[in-house]
Amino acid sequence: MSRSDVLVDADWVEAHGGDPGVVLVEVDEDTSAYDKGHIRNAVKIDWKKDLQDPVRRDFVDRAGFEALLSERGISNDDTVVLYGGNNNWFAAYAYWYFRLYGHHNVKLLDGGRKKWELESRELVTDVPQRAKTSYHAQDQDQAIRAFRDEVVAAIGRDNLVDVRSPDEFAGRLLAPAHLPQEQAQRGGHIPTAKNVPWSKAAEEDGTFKSDDALRKLYGDEAGVDFGKDTIAYCRIGERSAHTWFVLHELLGQANVKNYDGSWTEYGSLVGVPIEVGDAK
Amino acid sequence: MSTDGCAAPAGGVPVTAVKDAGTQAVVQGRVTQNGTAVPVGYARLLNTSGEFVAEVPLGEDGGFRFYAAPGSWTLRVLAPGNVRAERTVSADFGQVTDLEVAV
Repeated sequence: MSRSDVLVDADWVEAHGGDPGVVLVEVDEDTSAYDKGHIRNAVKIDWKKDLQDPVRRDFVDRAGFEALLSERGISNDDTVVLYGGNNNWFAAYAYWYFRLYGHHNVKLLDGGRKKWELESRELVTDVPQRAKTSYHAQDQDQAIRAFRDEVVAAIGRDNLVDVRSPDEFAGRLLAPAHLPQEQAQRGGHIPTAKNVPWSKAAEEDGTFKSDDALRKLYGDEAGVDFGKDTIAYCRIGERSAHTWFVLHELLGQANVKNYDGSWTEYGSLVGVPIEVGDAK
Repeated sequence: MSTDGCAAPAGGVPVTAVKDAGTQAVVQGRVTQNGTAVPVGYARLLNTSGEFVAEVPLGEDGGFRFYAAPGSWTLRVLAPGNVRAERTVSADFGQVTDLEVAV
């Protein structure tokens, strides 16, 4: 796996975004951003309405994912290029989610919507009409998704990477700083977790840092042992999908899982250990 | 907003600024250029070490809002045309810090 397998740049998207077999998909934190303007030929996936089960706290099931992609006109052999705002935060989450259901030909637009907008590239409001398909998904690849018991078992054994902000890690905040803070669960972090805020992997324009800079960030500076398995978590598993992308797809680490239950689950569990305070 | 998402408010930051912070430490404001709202751009909140903490797209009125921890912060604005601006702000629980950022 190398960068060119998983990332494309804006010039590539301008040249190939309309090619047969290429589908641009915007997945944004602000789910209304697409409606105000998006890259030509891009369809929209709403991370909340389209990707979450409406009742239980879980993802849509395999049949639901198949129905979603079929309705959006995405085929099994299409190259899916995802992009979104805020350093591709939710686009990286969708990338992980596509991989979870076995779609391997998926890439991110490096820099995402932000770099595109800051470069004043074209945004349109036309919604492309794509013919429906019969998408066939795989069972979820549990090699990239962690559940709570695995997380508890990993304490002191594997790398746990808490990708929230230092204030959330320490227990002073329960959500990112652009969201209101009322929450039910306890504050703090999973014992032995290293704190590497997800956004440190990105440059200011939203592109990913170089492989050397990323290795230094996680390894030399944070103490992540690249010889061990790794579980990344945040609050609800979306920022940590971005870190999963960095560790698994860019740095080629073999066993990296995203714990999508993350702090809203862990911090509400009865009886599990919690540490508070800043990273040591 | 509840535990169901990391999502920003739909449509970016609400046009109407909050007047009462409740228990939150609110940092909000509006970005303008020659007196006109800047509707395309990003507001970033950095801590005292210069580390990125949060980012929101500007609203249609150039508005942005953060729910910070008490303390000192740097607000950085990025907009097309290599526009950059920075302000230092302080936040505290129960307080709304309002900023007008002319770029």
